[in-house]
Amino acid sequence: MAQAIPKPVQLVDIELTEADIARDKREMERTWRRPKGLWGFLVETDHKVIGLRYIITAFIFFLFGGIEAALMRIQLAFPENHFLNPDRYNQVFTVHGTTMMFLFAVPIVTAMGIYFVPLMIGARDVAFPRLNAYGYFVYLIGGILLYTSFLLNTGPDAGWFSYVPLAGPSYSPGKRVDIWAQMITFTEISGLAGAIVVIGTAFKMRAPGMSLNRIPLFVWAQVVTAFMILFAMPSVMLASGLLASDRLVDTHIFNPAEGGDAILYQHMFWFFGHPEVYIIFIPALGFISPIIIAFARRKIFGYTAMVLSLVATAFIGFGLWVHHMFATPLPQLGESFFTAASMMIAIPTGVQIFCWLATLWGSKLQMRTPLLFVLGFFTIFVIGGLTGLMLASVPLDLQIHDTFFVVAHLHYVLIGGSVFPLFGAFYYWFPKWSGRMLGERLGKWNFWLMFIGFNLVFFPMHQLGLKGMPRRVYTYLPETGWGNLNLLASIGAFILAIGVLVFIVNAISALRAGEVAGDNPWAADSLEWATSSPPPDYNFLYLPTVSGRYALWSQTDKTPIVYGLSTQKRETLVTSVIAANPELRFDVPGTSIWPFMVALATAEAFIVGIFTPWAFPIGAVLAFAALAGWFFADPDHSNKKVIEQTEGHRPATQPKELRAEEA
Amino acid sequence: MSTRRVIDVSELPHHDFDTVDPVWWGNNGLLAIETSMFVILIVTYFYLRQNFTEWPPPIALMTAPLNPLPSLGPGTWNTVLLLFSILPIALADLSSRRGYRAGAQFGLVICLLCGAGAIALRAFEFPAVKFRWDSNSYGSVVWFLLGMHLTHLVTLMSETVLLTIWIFVREFDLKHRLDLTALAIYWYWVVGIWLVVYTVVYWSPRWL
Amino acid sequence: MRSKYSQLLSPGIAALAALTSTACSGVQSALDPAGPQAHNISRLWWLMFYVCTAVFIAVTIVLGLAINRSRKISGAEDLAPELEMPPEAETRRRNIVAAATAFTVVTLFVFLVASFFVGRGMSAELSAKQGVVVEVTGHQWWWEVRYLNDDASSIFTTANEIHIPVGTPVTLTLKASDVIHSFWVPNLHGKTDAIPGKVATMWFQADRPGTYRGQCAEYCGLQHAHMGLIVIAESREQFNSWITSQTQPAIQPSSATAARGQQIFMSGTCNMCHAISGTEAGSNIGPNLTHIASRQTIGAATMTNLGDHLSQWIADSQKIKPGNRMPPHNLSPEDLQAVIDYMQTLK
Repeated sequence: MAQAIPKPVQLVDIELTEADIARDKREMERTWRRPKGLWGFLVETDHKVIGLRYIITAFIFFLFGGIEAALMRIQLAFPENHFLNPDRYNQVFTVHGTTMMFLFAVPIVTAMGIYFVPLMIGARDVAFPRLNAYGYFVYLIGGILLYTSFLLNTGPDAGWFSYVPLAGPSYSPGKRVDIWAQMITFTEISGLAGAIVVIGTAFKMRAPGMSLNRIPLFVWAQVVTAFMILFAMPSVMLASGLLASDRLVDTHIFNPAEGGDAILYQHMFWFFGHPEVYIIFIPALGFISPIIIAFARRKIFGYTAMVLSLVATAFIGFGLWVHHMFATPLPQLGESFFTAASMMIAIPTGVQIFCWLATLWGSKLQMRTPLLFVLGFFTIFVIGGLTGLMLASVPLDLQIHDTFFVVAHLHYVLIGGSVFPLFGAFYYWFPKWSGRMLGERLGKWNFWLMFIGFNLVFFPMHQLGLKGMPRRVYTYLPETGWGNLNLLASIGAFILAIGVLVFIVNAISALRAGEVAGDNPWAADSLEWATSSPPPDYNFLYLPTVSGRYALWSQTDKTPIVYGLSTQKRETLVTSVIAANPELRFDVPGTSIWPFMVALATAEAFIVGIFTPWAFPIGAVLAFAALAGWFFADPDHSNKKVIEQTEGHRPATQPKELRAEEA
Repeated sequence: MSTRRVIDVSELPHHDFDTVDPVWWGNNGLLAIETSMFVILIVTYFYLRQNFTEWPPPIALMTAPLNPLPSLGPGTWNTVLLLFSILPIALADLSSRRGYRAGAQFGLVICLLCGAGAIALRAFEFPAVKFRWDSNSYGSVVWFLLGMHLTHLVTLMSETVLLTIWIFVREFDLKHRLDLTALAIYWYWVVGIWLVVYTVVYWSPRWL
Repeated sequence: MRSKYSQLLSPGIAALAALTSTACSGVQSALDPAGPQAHNISRLWWLMFYVCTAVFIAVTIVLGLAINRSRKISGAEDLAPELEMPPEAETRRRNIVAAATAFTVVTLFVFLVASFFVGRGMSAELSAKQGVVVEVTGHQWWWEVRYLNDDASSIFTTANEIHIPVGTPVTLTLKASDVIHSFWVPNLHGKTDAIPGKVATMWFQADRPGTYRGQCAEYCGLQHAHMGLIVIAESREQFNSWITSQTQPAIQPSSATAARGQQIFMSGTCNMCHAISGTEAGSNIGPNLTHIASRQTIGAATMTNLGDHLSQWIADSQKIKPGNRMPPHNLSPEDLQAVIDYMQTLK
């Protein structure tokens, strides 16, 4: 039952002098100014800051995961090597998988959404900035928990998937697996928070004129992923929560001796686990489209087919999970259904690839580094997808399941399908984040070292799996004959590592002395390029409107801007879901300490909860207090606290007219 | 020269009900997550049932009944109470939309009483299950179902307490009227989910 | 940089090198089938491999052509984006994308059908398979093997080594005593998980004699890497004589040192975990040692049962397989030799 809008929204021509613009800019700069210092770190809610925090933290975890991979490759380079003892190796491979999947891949791809979705849709911030901030703190705490335990030699060692009964109380004594289970809780809460943020923002805060069929493919990919997160992550939260409960308070969900079930855990885990890889992959598909559009100087061929393919991939992705369990005693007819579904998912992905090829064909191609990484995606991901079809077949899977063939496949699809586009995205959007261009020459070295190194590491693993080498083994006998291929893989690993290092060198030197990027160095089409690099705190001085799918390419000087949002308090525009008609002036909450406080309460519950179940009621009370503050303390819409911090005096109280609007 | 075509939004309101406000989307997103959790737990309940010939499993005591079904008393009274609570929350919801403060206050106070009663009755439901959480997998999954719902009852009550205090002590402004309608959706959800859990825990072993 | 063919080189070279430097054969290789299931799976593999390689080459060629045929940018005006494509170009692309999608669907369907038929052949005649029946139980980190028989006196237990007659189907029931393991002998068949609380059944068959190595293929803890086994396929006569000797209880040691070894075994910690039929040692926490001297490997196919390997294992198996359940034994050299002498009598 919506309220009647007092006056219709007006389309008018107004006088906007240079002085008006300068005054608005000054006031906006003040109203949206960022807080400083440690307090500033704890209270910040700006989506760009939160997004970059996620990206940088996730990249650091990527490096940690890479170091773990290097350790494994050193150990496996020679048969019966003694570089890592079995206990240490088992922790290393568990933490490698856990880091890459939970602390790097998902956070970084959703972080790209947190940073860019508001900019691409022409908004000033996300729909729930405090929830966004909370998500980051919880993620950081989870990562610190995992690495503290790992460095103290109590890292989890039952695999990133932590199957029962191995991970249960009888066979994994101590707190290692409990730490894993609670870290899952942290990262999943963070992921779920991010998903809600993306959905609310993409649905309700788009620029006027950006109807559903004009939404950039990047944003579509993020929305589809967010919905997948909503339905998949609860499954792993339950799996890890029930596992923690079996371990801590002796429930018997997974204990076969008391009617529990070990296969139930696998169902629960993989019902999440399969969509999880699409959660990592689909946002990357959203990176590829804008890069191709910008460097082929062309609209995407088959926009509707592309959107439907994203949605179809997400749906079908929920129907595949049993293909991780073909070797368990499940009925064969049921398994055949999952073979069919696992093969069928190649169709929407294939459609996307065909549409991209159709876009590239005959276009005006600029071969810059972002596009190189996209081309790398094509070759590597297609190999991974094809080996996926092999794994989809039940009889063939029974030979290659749980061998290095799967290790090869998963890295081809995840690194090819997600990391290569991600690096392309880094090169494409680094100018927007920092105002500097990454070097092209170093970029090409980066690409080729990564491409060659990657293939050298992982291609031989297909053969190793077929020759009988199982996964998760800390060593192997010389008689197996696996030594040569393993050594080749280990050499490749170092080439890959050097490639990543070249990227870091490129980034550091670009930040110091890179070529200055303007607003739109690539002459690209989407709205994030309509503002400065980096964007001002308020994103856009006047929010844009759009009249076409490729906003900046279809803009004219008749294209209206949004006028009438306050410059004294933080406001952005809320529009309708389908046609993006203006509906509300949304009050953006300013800085707030409450997300951090709720994160502390969450941390208490789940960290102390490793040792005693009483941590939960205590955490509930703490969370109640912090949430009371969150929802009932006055939010700082007019940025009073930051103005006081930076200008040293209390700003004037709000004029009465602005306050009356609250009623 | 400095004329600019603009869309003037300065007259738009700050809040509105239902799908217009982003809060509705955030709220229902959270409910989608929680619904998924319950669906998976309920599937777990039926999955674990396959491992038993008798369900609930027999208690290994000479004096115990062979088929220890959970007693219907506390659970059924709880269902009645929760169904009844839809009336006061609907009153608060409608009053909120119409700006009728007294109606909202009255409705919320009755809701608080219903919620407290539901939590108290839940305390009696756990022993009615006849198994502890650590007896066997049946006990574990049923305690989880009841326990997760209890967590929602507690969260619901906490939110209601805070909103009730606000509505008595501070202004009945649009933002908090909107929050109340969001709370109402959560309330309906908690009751609705309970109907499913109640049927699964108390009636499915009697019918299937 | 314009040529995409250079991007083909890397995986191509790696593949070529790997394929030529080490052939597909091997005692643990899925591509060196010695039985009908492994054979069928291997055929399915090659079908999919060739089709997928062709698809990959096709996609790479199209990608390369798309790049080669792109128009050069020669000035700032050239950067103007193309928002509209001529209708013929649109239609042509639509037809090609549709055709490619249709081709994809057909290929997938072919794979699906091939996969289904190969799969059906694997398990269909399970109930009809008679012949040898073996019960395998996975433990951390060894395989308990029990040959079943209608005649109870012919049932015996051994460990980590399975003998089968060539050309006869062998039914395996798989169990796990502690955590999930996976039984896998690639030359003969795919793997089947052994899950605590569940019983899995599979069958395989060897069509030529040989020794085939298998390994646990589900991460099961500290020494998952050293949980191997061997399957020895031999002629019917050899198999029958093996069965006969395995069903005999252990003979009493004749020499003095062997007798002393038996005494150390029975009075020390050995008989707390290991069974020897015909004596009072009856525990099944560890592998059954009744015929240890006839087994080809020790420690779940971690080392061969030759030379002083057994002696090293008994003295300190933790050095060879750290974390396994057998503690080191601080025996004097004479005592250790006596135990070895006793073990050698257990043929």
